[in-house]
This record gives sequence, structure tokens and C-alpha cells, in this order.
Amino acid sequence: MSSMKLVGRSTIRLGPVSIVVRHRPAIVAAALSAVLVAVVLLALCVGGTYVTAADVLATLSGAETGYERLINVLRLPRTLLAVAAGAAFGLAGALIQSVARNPLASPDVIGVTQGAGLAATVALTAGLGFGVLAPLSLAGGLLAAVVVIWVGSKHGLAAQRFVLAGIAVAVIVKSFTQIIMLAAPAIDAQRAQIWLVGTFAGRGWDETAMIGATLLLALPFLLWASKATDTTALDDDTARGLGVRVTARRVVLAIIGVVLASVATANVGAIEFVALVAPQLARRLTRTERPPLWSAALAGAILTVLADWLGRTAFGSYQLPAGVLTAAIGGPYLIFLLVTRRKAS
Amino acid sequence: MRYSSLHLEVPMVKLARRRGAVITAAVALLVIAVVASLAIGARPLSPGEVLTALFHPDDSPAATVVLDQRLPRTIVAILVGAGLAVAGVVMQALTRNPLADPRIFGVASGASLGVVVAISVFGLASLSQYVWFGITGALIAGLIGFLIAQTAARGREGNSPVTLALVGAALDASLSAVIYGVLTTNAQSFDQYRFWVVGSVAGRKMDVAMQVLPFILIGLILAVVIARGLDALLLGEDLATGLGHRTGLVRFAGAAVVALLTGAAVAAAGPIGFIGLAIPHLVRPLVGNDHRWVLVTSMVAGPILLLAADIAGRRITDGELPAGIATALVGAPLLIWLVRRARTVTA
Repeated sequence: MSSMKLVGRSTIRLGPVSIVVRHRPAIVAAALSAVLVAVVLLALCVGGTYVTAADVLATLSGAETGYERLINVLRLPRTLLAVAAGAAFGLAGALIQSVARNPLASPDVIGVTQGAGLAATVALTAGLGFGVLAPLSLAGGLLAAVVVIWVGSKHGLAAQRFVLAGIAVAVIVKSFTQIIMLAAPAIDAQRAQIWLVGTFAGRGWDETAMIGATLLLALPFLLWASKATDTTALDDDTARGLGVRVTARRVVLAIIGVVLASVATANVGAIEFVALVAPQLARRLTRTERPPLWSAALAGAILTVLADWLGRTAFGSYQLPAGVLTAAIGGPYLIFLLVTRRKAS
Repeated sequence: MRYSSLHLEVPMVKLARRRGAVITAAVALLVIAVVASLAIGARPLSPGEVLTALFHPDDSPAATVVLDQRLPRTIVAILVGAGLAVAGVVMQALTRNPLADPRIFGVASGASLGVVVAISVFGLASLSQYVWFGITGALIAGLIGFLIAQTAARGREGNSPVTLALVGAALDASLSAVIYGVLTTNAQSFDQYRFWVVGSVAGRKMDVAMQVLPFILIGLILAVVIARGLDALLLGEDLATGLGHRTGLVRFAGAAVVALLTGAAVAAAGPIGFIGLAIPHLVRPLVGNDHRWVLVTSMVAGPILLLAADIAGRRITDGELPAGIATALVGAPLLIWLVRRARTVTA
């Protein structure tokens, strides 16, 4: 490690545990946390009815303000769900982009989100109920990932081919989703369509708990495996020389990424582009080689809360699902990335 | 991908003979497909009854069903199939990308957005009013995609299929979001939309065929006019210019062809996918890479595929499975095969 630059890092030791903290990413993560708190407060205050920040805080702490229903029942659950789902998407994107070593390999570009969406559409239109929605979506996301790897792996898992395979699988999966939408009765189809685009309206605690539990479950694996995202900045041989079990850690990270994306999709729908954009934003802010996990999760949460808030406030009497806004903004951002990518890789 | 000199080993005489055989067989197949399309349905007819209805029309139920329902739908399928197949050939040549297809590259989404805006925002109901919106949408989406891909490709490893496909995917996602946003403001449009968006020729009447006919015809003729230029483009910019081809003009005309054909086809039948992708790949191994032959053969092969898909949809389910779904079922394995094939990507 002697050749590595140690400037800008501190080591925190707590008994046997030591954590290396790099200063810039830590500052960025702190700043993003502050922004997230501000954005959440904004989403709670501003809507059809304006509530002052003081009243919001009073309501949250249990005081009788007359806004209990508006804040605690309507705005808080969907906002917290947006935080959880956004964090899950951002984290999933950072993990898959790191493992694939390609800034474009995010679960929504390579078909994982669409796979989960197809499975969920089946569940919704077949009247299977919300109980099986999550496990079925998880299966769909994993299956799509397996297909993408199979299609892309003929001549080694080159990053380019992997992305291309993902696009192909995504196009195909979307076609099948349309087939199912067509066979369904109009009312189910419309419900499935709104769900597919991704929305937080009328949802809250149950879904937040499900995503939160998945995030918590993923945490120990992340801590064990996250060394691999650091070392993917090195080449494989160097990392192995340092004693890192590169392949095992990569596989674990990829699985966590797919699981997070699928569980989030199962609960809030196929909100596109958060998983792609959030890690890129975080990477640009921290100026690191690979997307930093904490900041990616925070950036994902901020973007998703903003998308939901804009969707319900910015279009007059029309409420647009959050997924419409993330796609309308994320698509051009992806194009921007493609146009300016000359320096990368 | 390079359009390698795959078929140059075939002696020219043999190739010429094979081209003749291929085009003859294709025309024969098309005739069979047309007769089948007129004969098969909820009320099956014999080929004899179909011919009687066509050439000696009377007031019989057979003549009514053939002339009023199946004939218009068949003509629309022929126009749309030919238009999408040729749009695919021209897109693949212009981008030098084997994955180019109006649907994958977002051009069909542009046309869809145009049609959706025409219906929801301007309240236009008839095709003759919104066909222009479809073409304009296709043109704008195609131009944006083209410009972005050119910018992205500059200074890197040239014209990467991955970059183009990603630009298409991004464009498609953004446009779909806008389409959905527009539809949200007009709730009852959604039920119509979900049937339209998969692509179908069911229930199209003669006026639909007549309204898109001029656009498709102009597009097809223009494509044949620039065929030699498309051949030259595949040699590379420098060589093509050296041979005296005005590459800028060819590209401009090619873009117009794609917009006209995709816009008109989408307006008539919805964004039917995979025909533009599949037909060029099926046709090139048969007739070689000369675009005059690829284009003419595609004009016959595209309608065969779409008619076959439409007929299969009528036969498989009683509820009329739309043709766009049948083409997706055929196109999906092809797309996977193309990606898995070694030559597609120089990674």
C-alpha cells in the first residue's frame, strides 16, 4: 500500500475495527445528507396546501396542529418511501456499475428493472395480489440478469457487449410486458401501467419497511465486499496480490445490486434512470474512480424525492408519476454522458 | 461492424442467377400471403371465393368481407411492411450499425409521440390529419438521435453500435415518459393507446391505406434512387467522396426516407417492431450487399413477414393477437443472436 497516495485519508480505529475515511467523499456524503434532509422537508411543506417548516416539525413531534392527516398520513409515508426506494436504486446502480466497470451498466439500462417489471405486471394483471409481487419481481430481475450475462458472455464478459446484451434484453422484455398489458382487462392494464411507470402515490409504510429491511440485510455483505469496489480501481492482479478475493466479492456485490433493484422495483415500480444517474452524480462530486456507495444512495434518494415532489406539484391539477419525471430528465442526462464520455475508459 | 465482403466469393454469375430466383420466390410468396390474408379469418373462404370476390364483386357476404375488411387491412400491411423493412435497410446503411431499427433507435417513439400529441392535445381524430404529426415526430427523433450519435462517436472508436443503441434507448425512454405524461392528462386515451402501441393492422379501412400510400411510395422510390450512394457510404466517407458520391446529400435523403417511411407506417399501424431489424439480415445473405437488390427484395419480404404475423395472430387466438406482438416474438431471438454473434461488437 506504500505506493498509494495517503493524502486526504484518515484511519479511525475502534478496537479491532479500522475504517479508512477519505476526506472528500466523507465531506460529499455529509453535504448530500444535509441536502436530503432539506429536500424531504421541502416535500413535506410544499404541496396543494403550504405548511410551514415549524408546523411540519411540530406535527411530526406529535403536537396538535391540524395537519396530522396531511403530513403524517399523506405526505410523510410517500416521501419516506421515495427516500428508501431512491437509496436502493442509487446503491444498486453504483454496485452494478462498479462490478461491470462501466458507467452505463445500471439495472435499468441492462434490463434488470424491466425484468422485475414484467414479473410484477404478470402478478398485477393476473390478480395474484400484492403478497407475491415482491418475490415474483425479485425472480424476474434475477432471471433478466442471468439472461443478460448469458447473451453477453459469449466472448468473455466485455463491458461493451454486456451493455448491448442488456439493451437487447430490455427491448424484448418491454415487448412482452406490452403483450400482457394487452391481454388484461382495461382497469388492470391501467393500474399496471401506472405501477410500471413508477409512483409513490397512495403508498407508504409497508413498502418502505420492505425496502428498508432489504437495505439493512444487504449492509453486512456490503461492508465485507465493498473492498472490491475500491480494488476494482486497481487491476485484478494487483488486487489479488493484495489478498482480496476479487471474484467472490464481485459476485456478491452484483447479486446485492440486482436484489436491491428488483425489490425496489417490486415496491414502487420501474422508476427509470435513478440507478444510472445517481452514482454518476456522486462520482463526479467525489471525483473518485468508482461510484462511492454512500453518496450514490444519498443522491438516489434526493433525486427520487425531488421527482415525486415535482410530479405532484409542478403540473397544476395533473399528478404525474415520479417515474415520468426521472425518465424525462434521466434520458437526456444519459445522452449527455454518452456525448461527453470521450475521456472515460 | 464492417459489412465485410461476405458474399464476394460467390461468383457473379451464380449470384445473379440466385438473385433472380430469390426475387421470383419472394413475389410468389407474397401472392400466396395476400391470398391467405384475404381468405383466412372468422369466416374462412376458399381461394376461389376470394378471386371471385376480387374480380367479380357482387353483394354476397363473401365479397363484402373481402372487399370491406380484409382487402384494406392487407393493403395496409403491405405498405407498412415494405416501409418498415426499407427504413431498416437505410438506417443500417447510414449508421453502419447492424442493430439499427426504427423501434430500437427511438424513431418509432418520436412518431408515436407525434401521433399521441395530435390526438390528445389537438384533438385530431383522422389519420390524414395526424400522419404529418407522425412523420414530423419521426424526423425530429431521428435527427436528434443521429446528431447525438455522431457527436458521441467523434474522436472515439468511430461509430460504435453500443453508443448508437444507448442513444436510442435513452431517447426512447425520454419520449415514452413524455407520451405517458401527455396521456395522463387525457385518461380515456390510455385504453386506445395500449392497443395502438403494440402495433396492429386490424380494422384498418381503405382510407388509411390511401392516406399513407403517397408517403410510403415517395419513401420507397427515394430509397431506390440513393441505393448506389448507400453502397458507397459503406466504403467509408473518404472513399465514397473519392468515387464521386455526394455523401452529405445521400445522408440527407436517407434521413428523409427513414422519417417518411417510419412516420407513415407508425401512423397507420402503430410502432411495429423488429421488421426493420430482421428483414435486412434475412435478405442480405440471399442477394448480397448491393443495395438496389437488398432494397427491392426487402420491399417484397417486409410485407410477407407482416402479413404472416397478422395471419398468425388471426389464427392463433380468437381475440386477434396484434401483428406487432407476432413480429416481436420472431424478432426477439434474432436480436439475441445478433448480439451474441462475434462480429457485431468490436469490444
